[in-house]
Amino acid sequence: MRVTVCGTNCRAFTKMCRPTDPSLGRATQARASRGWRRFAVLVLAALAGGAVSAGEPDPLGSVMWDYHHERLLEGRPYVFDERVKVMAPPFAEDARQVPIQVDARALDGQIERVLLWADLNPIPRIAVFQPGPEVAPLLAIRIRVEQATPVRAAVLTRDGVWHVGSSRVDAAGGGCTAPSVVRAQPGWEDRLGQVLGGRYPRGEQSRLRVQVSHPMDNGLVGDIPEFYLNQAELRGADGQPLATLELFPAVSENPTLTLQLKTDQPAELWLRDNNGNEFQAAF
Amino acid sequence: MRQHPAAPIAVWAALLLMFGLPVQAAPDYRLEPRQIAPDTWLVEGRTENFSKDNGGDIVNVVFLATDAGVLVIDTGPSRRYGEALRAAIARVTDAPVRRVLLTHHHPDHVLGNQAFADVPIAALAGTARLMADEGDAMAENMYRLVGDWMRGTEVVLPDEALEPGVLAFGGHRLRLLALQGHTGADLAILDETTGVLFAGDLIFHDRALTTPHTPGIDAWLADLDRLGALAWSLVVPGHGPIARDDGPLRQTADYLRWLDRTFTEAAARGADMNEVMQSPIPTRFADLPLARYELIRSTNHLYPRYEGAQFRLLAPAP
Ligand SMILES: [Zn+2]
Repeated sequence: MRVTVCGTNCRAFTKMCRPTDPSLGRATQARASRGWRRFAVLVLAALAGGAVSAGEPDPLGSVMWDYHHERLLEGRPYVFDERVKVMAPPFAEDARQVPIQVDARALDGQIERVLLWADLNPIPRIAVFQPGPEVAPLLAIRIRVEQATPVRAAVLTRDGVWHVGSSRVDAAGGGCTAPSVVRAQPGWEDRLGQVLGGRYPRGEQSRLRVQVSHPMDNGLVGDIPEFYLNQAELRGADGQPLATLELFPAVSENPTLTLQLKTDQPAELWLRDNNGNEFQAAF
Repeated sequence: MRQHPAAPIAVWAALLLMFGLPVQAAPDYRLEPRQIAPDTWLVEGRTENFSKDNGGDIVNVVFLATDAGVLVIDTGPSRRYGEALRAAIARVTDAPVRRVLLTHHHPDHVLGNQAFADVPIAALAGTARLMADEGDAMAENMYRLVGDWMRGTEVVLPDEALEPGVLAFGGHRLRLLALQGHTGADLAILDETTGVLFAGDLIFHDRALTTPHTPGIDAWLADLDRLGALAWSLVVPGHGPIARDDGPLRQTADYLRWLDRTFTEAAARGADMNEVMQSPIPTRFADLPLARYELIRSTNHLYPRYEGAQFRLLAPAP
């Protein structure tokens, strides 16, 4: 048997998976209003003072920066801030499972929420993380990437400024459109919602790790509609929320999550998917 | 009549553009076989990663040139390499190539097969299966990594299944061992006549090893025990320089044990993947080419198993 190595059709695959959000056209209109917004950003940053500069161009030079700034950060003031650490491997060894870790502990105490996305993914958004006072602003998660892309974490602080950390992942691509590994495993439905994990002491604090059995279908593979975990909440002993997490189907199959609790109190993770299935696991 | 000196160049450039003639010469592997034992020739690859500069010439290929003909062990990363290898063999001997043995299915070892399509190509059954399943995807990846060197390369599957045992060839007694540590189907060959061990990628030497298909570090270490117990006086690793002692074997085992310990301890601490990828590399490995790069890859390949072994069931499926 002989198999042709690479014809011209290799590339067609990635092309259809580029961001084709119809609202992309609006970026042109938005450009007109960007002038005064830039100005406002500069003024705000000047008022905020400190070592940060504002309205600066994307250090990674992504063609999608302005678009995501408008759409995901609602065009609000931003700074590229090294205190927001985005750890990611320089290349995706497996485009279906690319580990991302965000550490914004340097901004702890001022954080409203943390937004994660990958600029060039067909589904850019990864997660929105809102750590309460008892949870460290630290999150590790694995994602699919469709092609080489910047990965971002934007931390909204109480003063209304987004602090953006970036990392770049090189990739051969295809992670978003690759056939499901989970669905190829016999009996996966029986394991749906099974939670594996552990709790690991870190000084006074606790690492919490989970791996949830779920296919995280993103609607881009075959005729399989979106079916993914979209909500998670870390809860204390009396059920009060300690942190919330909104998830998007850029997150890999069988999501693996790492969180850090600042105390040794008991905790539970509650999860829900877009079909309304709810799952719960105690640490 | 005097002509402007630049004119002929401009004319040539225009002609080249019009007819699309290649401006650069086709890349050339410049393979130089070197005799390392009676009848035994090595074509040594560089200890680098695949690149557009080296065309994937990072692998050790060996051939036995005997009166009864030539036996080739692995065919290299591309059709062009296979052709260059065949030409290099013809510079060493007039004897015809009779047979090809493949150590395992990785693209840098088998994508030169096209140049040997007229002779039997033999491999373990598991290797043939892996090539059928993953060969074209791996070849595509190679195309991305080394580019034009791959032009015209196609996967040619082996047409003969090897069993462990003794293969006689041109006065050499070749002991074939069916092992598994590197890919699940790894052929090691001990030439009992010359005392040369062809270890394939079960042994790396002075180059960080790769783990994309390993069934596990334990299995790999068990294979190294087996190879260490055999009587040989020269070892040809899949990548890196040959040696007359067991240095490469011990280095490979040492590295594997370090990986195993690093992943086990990280999983017990609750480390996530990026933290593991940034683990300190001991000085004895830090200078190996591609040490950090391969640690990142191996973390991707193997760490999920170590996490899985560490995780408890927090909640059964509802
Ligand atoms: Zn190999």
